Amino acid sequence: MTIALTLFTIITVALGVVFFLAGTVGLLRFPDTLTRLHALTKADNLGLGLVVLGLLPQVAWPFGGLKLIAVWLLALLAGATVGPLLGHAAWTQERGREPPP
Amino acid sequence: MSEFLLIAALCVLGTVALGLVVILRGPTEADRLSAAQLLGTGGVAALLLLGVATDTTGVADLALVLALLAAFAAVAFITPFGTNGGRADPVAQPDRPQDPE
Amino acid sequence: MTVRPGPGGSGFSRDATARGAGFFGCWLLLAGPGWSNPAAVPAVDVAVGLLAAAAATWASVHLLPPTPGRVRLGALGRLLLRFLWQSIVGGSDVARRAFAPRLSLQPGYLVYPVRTPPGPRRALFGALTSLVPGTLPVGSEPQAGAGCALVYHCLDLRQPVADGLAKDEALMIQGCGEDATDV
Repeated sequence: MTIALTLFTIITVALGVVFFLAGTVGLLRFPDTLTRLHALTKADNLGLGLVVLGLLPQVAWPFGGLKLIAVWLLALLAGATVGPLLGHAAWTQERGREPPP
Repeated sequence: MSEFLLIAALCVLGTVALGLVVILRGPTEADRLSAAQLLGTGGVAALLLLGVATDTTGVADLALVLALLAAFAAVAFITPFGTNGGRADPVAQPDRPQDPE
Repeated sequence: MTVRPGPGGSGFSRDATARGAGFFGCWLLLAGPGWSNPAAVPAVDVAVGLLAAAAATWASVHLLPPTPGRVRLGALGRLLLRFLWQSIVGGSDVARRAFAPRLSLQPGYLVYPVRTPPGPRRALFGALTSLVPGTLPVGSEPQAGAGCALVYHCLDLRQPVADGLAKDEALMIQGCGEDATDV
C-alpha cells in the first residue's frame, strides 16, 4: 500500500512538473500576447493541481490535506480571475492598434 | 521520497525562472505580468513541495499567502486598464481610442 | 453576526450565516494544526476566530450581496465535475501545442451571444470558461438586438468552441437557478 502511494506521488508530481514546463515553453514559444495567456492560465493551474494531488497521500489528515486543497482552490480562483482580466487588458491594447474583430 | 520532492521543487523553480526571460523580453505589460503570475503559481507549488519534503507544516501557510499576494498584485496592476477607459494605462498609446465600456 | 437586514429577509440571513460558517471553517483550517489537544482549545482563541469570521461575513455581504435563486446541488456537482475535466483537457491541450515541434495554432476571436445577464453570474461564467480548452474571455460588446455578447479569444478556431460554451452555460444556469421563474 505504501509503495503504491509513493508511486502515485512520484508519478503525479512528475506530471505536474511537466505541465509547469509546458506553461513556460508556451509562454516562450506562442506567437502573441493572448495565445501566451492561454498557455499560462491553463497549464500552470493543472500543474499545481497535480502537485497538490500527488502530495495529498504524504501529509497528515485532516488539517494538512485540507490546507493543501485550500491552497489549490485559492490558486485556481486567482488564475480564473486574473486570466480574463489580463486578456481584457491585452485585447483593449490590441484593439487600439487595429479595427475591432 | 523527500529527495524526490526536493528535486521536483527545484525543477518547478527552474522552469519558472526560465519564464522570467519573458519579464525582460515583454513585449507588452500583459506578457510581463503573465510571467509574474507563472512565478506566483510555480512558487506556490515549489513551497508546497518543500514543506512536505522537509516536514515543515508552516510552509503551507506561506504558500497560501503567496497565492493571495500574486492574485492581488495582478488585480491591482490591471484595474487601471479596464475600469476608467485606460486613462492610467501604463502602456497606453497617446492616440488610442477610448474604451467604450 | 453583524449582518444588516437586507432585501430578501430570511433568505438573506440564511445566506449570510452559511458564509459565516464557511469563513469560520477556513479559520479553523488555518489555526487548527497549532493546537496540540483539540479538546482543550482556549475559549479566547475561538472567540478571536468567531470575530474574524463575523468581520469576513460583513465584508462579504457588502461587497457581494447574496442573490436570490436556488442552488441545485446535483446540477452544481455536474458543473464542477465538467469543469474539472475541462481544465484537465485544457491544460493537456495547451501542453500538447507547446511541445509540438511545429506550432499548430489558429488564433482568433469568437463573439458568443451570452444569455447570462451582467453581474456576478456572468463573471463566474467568464472565470469558469477561461479554464475550458482553447477559450479565454477578453471582453464584451453590445449586440445588435437587446443583450450582449462576450468576446472570446480562441487558441484554435477549428475547434467547436461555441458549442462547448453553450453547453457550459446551460449547465451553469441549471446549477445556479438562474431562471427561477420557469421552474
